[in-house]
Amino acid sequence: MAQNLVNIDHLANLARLDFSDEEKATIAPQLWSILEYVGKLSQVDTTNVSNRTYVTDAVNVWREDIIESCDPEIVARCLEAFPKKVGTALSVPGIFEERTL
Amino acid sequence: MNLNELTITEAKKKLADKEISAVDLVGACIASIDKHDADVHAFLEVFNDEAFAQARVIDKQRTAGEELGDLAGIPLALKDNILMRGKKATAGSQILEQHIAAYDSTVAARLKNAGAILLGRANCDEFAMGSSTEGSHFGPTANPWDLSRVPGGSSGGPVAAVAGGMALGGFGTDTGGSVRQPAALCGVVGMKPTYSRVSRYGIIALSSSFDQVGPIGRSVDDVATLLRIVEGKDSLDATSTHLDETTIAELLHLEEIKGLRVGIPKEYFIDGMDPEVEARVREAIKLLSTHGAEIIEVSLPHTNVALETYYVIQPAEAAANLERYDGMRYGLRATAPTLEQSYRMTRGEGFGAEVKRRVMLGTFVLSAGYVDAYYKKAQAVRTLIRRDFDEVFKDVDVILTPTSPTAAWPLGEKFDDPIAMYLADIFTVSANLAGLPGISVPCGFAHGLPVGFQLIGKAFDEATLFKVGHFYQSITEWHKKSPWDV
Repeated sequence: MAQNLVNIDHLANLARLDFSDEEKATIAPQLWSILEYVGKLSQVDTTNVSNRTYVTDAVNVWREDIIESCDPEIVARCLEAFPKKVGTALSVPGIFEERTL
Repeated sequence: MNLNELTITEAKKKLADKEISAVDLVGACIASIDKHDADVHAFLEVFNDEAFAQARVIDKQRTAGEELGDLAGIPLALKDNILMRGKKATAGSQILEQHIAAYDSTVAARLKNAGAILLGRANCDEFAMGSSTEGSHFGPTANPWDLSRVPGGSSGGPVAAVAGGMALGGFGTDTGGSVRQPAALCGVVGMKPTYSRVSRYGIIALSSSFDQVGPIGRSVDDVATLLRIVEGKDSLDATSTHLDETTIAELLHLEEIKGLRVGIPKEYFIDGMDPEVEARVREAIKLLSTHGAEIIEVSLPHTNVALETYYVIQPAEAAANLERYDGMRYGLRATAPTLEQSYRMTRGEGFGAEVKRRVMLGTFVLSAGYVDAYYKKAQAVRTLIRRDFDEVFKDVDVILTPTSPTAAWPLGEKFDDPIAMYLADIFTVSANLAGLPGISVPCGFAHGLPVGFQLIGKAFDEATLFKVGHFYQSITEWHKKSPWDV
């Protein structure tokens, strides 16, 4: 049964998503029923069928990695979109948490 | 006839003949917005002053005899996940509520080059996940044919704008039916081109192996005209395809469909489908047959697992694409003591219910222990679905199906039942899974609400879809009806 497969807290951690207890109570049965629904796929015989399907016949192509300058207006808009900045540098919370020795 | 209800083809002729001006055309659309959009809510923002200013420039250029673009003076509505430089781009999400696009999508840039007037940002389900446009953080859009009903989705905004005469045409994005399904529910033409025909540069990504930008219009000819402007190779999207020069205009003049082989897949006429919707589609098939099309029953045996396949692969790709909304470089950022808490709170606060469901679902099907049973299994079934189409296209030129199993449903009816909502896309997801072009064409009414049929073609054979659709519209009047005349 799908219920047994889904550990909401584990998935929420992988997905970096906060849920209230109320939200968890709603989403859990919804995920179970969706997983039960898509579980029908297990009945399809896919022996020797490739799982690397791609919808066009395009193949990878290579090009030179050329450094070009960016339109200054675009640069200005990107800077403006930063949620927090110091000068022209993007400011983010510390990646390493402080530890008291 | 009201100017805002002209087809693009008609409007272009009147503009060229100087019978009307671009200012007249913009004025007529804005008047319709003023009159109806408080009820419909097709637009999140209308660029009123800029639209008039641009129209005045075009009118001046025309008077001066300057050369003008193919869409000069034509007002269009763009879904709010197609970036327009300097304008907000929210994708219907709170997490991007204040986000301003730093650059133009290739679609917007090509439309601007052609002289189109980009009238505003049109509403959509959050990050294009949904079939009703009720999932927009900024409130739902209503169906112009019945304001108590959904317009379909996720491109409900641009579609309702075209249906309601608030724009002459528009663009949405179609990942599992998000242009074709609302087009059917609102009585206009909507197309999903072959995967890679139109550049995805500057489109807020949902699921990268499915997403395509799709044109919306009152007529098949208009949709062909719009596609011509935006399609083709773009150095900014490595997946976009170089197209040989084909002339859609010439193909449209082939008014004969005699001998054309039209496949009717038996799996697309299912129990639980609205009998009135089925009847309208059957009537359209009969009409094509009367005019010489050869109707052939075909089978796409994996149709019964298409939706299941879609709802494994699509959320997996969506979960990966939406990782970028972490609050660091742009968009909403929640203040928290640590980086990880900031990620979690930003996403927890910024995403709505359906987005969270799909991110969780996608995370699950990609997680250790389940990736083989779900994700890889679905990818293998996707191969089988594609093979089904390859087989059928050995015997037919085009496939005809209903676009949606029902007409528009009441607002709120399916909103809290994800699977019921997903089932609305049951006839449209297969074209996305196989990367094929599909178009929805209005074919009558059920219970007073519009119904559409869908044509699915071979990869890059949009021309046949246009030919059949154009022929059908040359002998029917459904696409000339206005919701405001009812």
